[in-house]
Amino acid sequence: MIDDPSSGDFAADLGLASCSCCGKLSPVDLGDCPRCGKTLHLRKPFSLARTIALLSAAIAFYVPAMTLPVMGVEGVGTASAGGSTGGSTIVGGVITFWKSGSYPVAIIIFTASVLIPILKIIALIWLCLAATGRSRARPHSHAFAYHITELVGRWSMVDVFVVAILVCLVRLGNIMTITPGPAAISFATVVILTMLSAMSFDPRLLWDHHRRSA
Amino acid sequence: MTEEDPNTSKEHRPVVRRRRRISSVWIVPIIALFLAGWLLWRNKVDSGPLISVQFATAEGIAAGKTELRCRSVPVGMVEVVNLTTDLKTLVQIRVKPAYEDLLRDDSRFWVVRPRVSTSNVSGLGTLITGAYIELDPGTEKKHAENFVGLEEPPVTSLSVPGLRLTLTAKEAGSLAVGSPISYLGFEVGKVERRTLDLENEQVQFRILIRERYSELVRKGTRFWNNSGFDVTAGADGFKLRTPSVQTLVTGGASFSTPRDMKESPLAEDGDVFNLFDDQSSAEDAHFIPDTRALLMFHQSVRGLQRGATVEFRGIPIGRVLDISFKRAAIGDPRVPVLIEMESSALERALNITKSADGFDIKSAVRNGLTAKLESASLLTGALYIDLDLEEVDLPIEPEMQENLVVIPSQPGGIAQLEDRVNAILAKIEALPLDGTLAKFGNAADEAAMTIADARETLDSIEETVNEAKAVLASEDTQKLTAELNKTLAEMRTSVNSLGPEGAVQGDLRRALDELRAAARSFGELSETVDEKPNSLIFGRKSSGDPIPRARR
Repeated sequence: MIDDPSSGDFAADLGLASCSCCGKLSPVDLGDCPRCGKTLHLRKPFSLARTIALLSAAIAFYVPAMTLPVMGVEGVGTASAGGSTGGSTIVGGVITFWKSGSYPVAIIIFTASVLIPILKIIALIWLCLAATGRSRARPHSHAFAYHITELVGRWSMVDVFVVAILVCLVRLGNIMTITPGPAAISFATVVILTMLSAMSFDPRLLWDHHRRSA
Repeated sequence: MTEEDPNTSKEHRPVVRRRRRISSVWIVPIIALFLAGWLLWRNKVDSGPLISVQFATAEGIAAGKTELRCRSVPVGMVEVVNLTTDLKTLVQIRVKPAYEDLLRDDSRFWVVRPRVSTSNVSGLGTLITGAYIELDPGTEKKHAENFVGLEEPPVTSLSVPGLRLTLTAKEAGSLAVGSPISYLGFEVGKVERRTLDLENEQVQFRILIRERYSELVRKGTRFWNNSGFDVTAGADGFKLRTPSVQTLVTGGASFSTPRDMKESPLAEDGDVFNLFDDQSSAEDAHFIPDTRALLMFHQSVRGLQRGATVEFRGIPIGRVLDISFKRAAIGDPRVPVLIEMESSALERALNITKSADGFDIKSAVRNGLTAKLESASLLTGALYIDLDLEEVDLPIEPEMQENLVVIPSQPGGIAQLEDRVNAILAKIEALPLDGTLAKFGNAADEAAMTIADARETLDSIEETVNEAKAVLASEDTQKLTAELNKTLAEMRTSVNSLGPEGAVQGDLRRALDELRAAARSFGELSETVDEKPNSLIFGRKSSGDPIPRARR
């Protein structure tokens, strides 16, 4: 990484745009990429609006994902239908594991299912603020936050995968059946929306802003 | 939302696009908000009301596992099982919203577990599925969310139509929840609940008579416990009456309506009846008490019990309610006895018409009504009260005590009997019992002495026997026996030597021969002395002329 990101020439200043598909640098006046034919943009179009829209959708789904039961277990004599209390929600599950002494499992579930999505959401909000010049932090920490967000995003799907696998595997008719709860779908939506949100964010905006303010 | 590069010369493009595209992107969070809200709302609506039921124990009840069922249809789920401060278990149940109207004020809850009793077997299915809570919807309209659960499943559902009555008894006996109530031996109802009435010290049974038989129960109907055998000894021998086998095991009650009560009004829900101990006592109680009176006895009422019959010239018309000094005025030594009776028999006998405020017992007393204590059984000493009419010259003005008319009492048969017994006792006392008893005492003393002597003798005999036993057991005695044996053997040889071949035999024979020769020579000697006595002095040859001797 160069010491001063604002130094040097900017492709945008020269009217050059990198193709978002094949990476070829071409003058933006051409309209379409001369190699692959994709429309050329200097920056991702409406990046911030999309990011914030998707992010608010993710926040909306985060509430049912945490408060509703994530899965129901129906078995012989045990019909744990989805009540809104008890250990059937994600947080309830974490508490149950913690109380029973399975601290590592509780920590893993808490990190993957509660902490990471919320940190991701916070990180994206922070990046959006930074891109519009409302953050005073160093641009390198913004870049670091973006890298982490992109990297870690998909791992939040672990929960959803566990539920999906259990639902597929545990179908023993009357003996035991696991059904996905409404929180599973909400949670999957949260993860997908935050990933899309992170994808639609254009990190170059951070440097643009940095250069403008410098 | 700065999108455009400040260095870009084309400014018209972003302005146009921005407005159009922004609106389409922001649809996503709107839809998301709508969906998330709908999810939350549906979950809340789906959950239904949370009710709490109190049980004594939460055995078999688990949060998230135990279902609430109504007629075996799942209508809810236990969510929380808590312990209250007074150590009861509070079970919170989430009821499905569709069944919310089952939560009525008098709805009943109980836990269905496997139960095996003498009268029925139920809930065996819960052996595998685990216990569940059964809900029996009540009949009231009022909605409720807090309930107290039953410990035992009710025998019949509240919604089963029928006549619900209360029986009171002194003892529960073998009558239990689920015991049949029969009419002419045919089951027409059941005992629903059995409770202990501590205030009145009695047992209460709530029974249900099925609707189609409810007309059998009248106000004058008698109920009795028919759990046991009934053996009666009469002039025609013994009579044994047994109820059905099931009743023998589970207990049961029967009822019948006496013929003269058939016209009494129909019993209503909640009516209270007395449960008699057996059929005969139920049949004896042919009265509906409507009048109370007080009796004051000068004598002891020992043997008179609560519930003892009050008879009018041998016909039972009432019973004793209470015997207690509480009803007596202070300083009054008489024993007050409270009775209740049916007045119709007296009415007819005394020609007194019933007034508006009940039977006029005062005029009955004026006409000479008196009470006597009579002995019902000489064996048990039980007493009953006999009412009678005495000829009176002047009408007696009845005494009043605590707003109750006092029926004058007379010394009853038992008091007369007492006098007689006293007389007999006096006579026995006068008998010269002391002297006889002293003699008896002496004889007894002597006998005791004799027995003591006899015992001593027996003791010495025993001692001797013991000694002899010791001697016999000693070694010397054993040796003696051996020596005796030896001696006997020797004796045998000696005897053998005496035998025909023995040495002694020969010697003996020789000795006999010699004895014979000696005898012979003695004979000669005597002849010689005979012939010549002087030969004893001069010898035989003194004659000089020997005379030949002739042979004898």
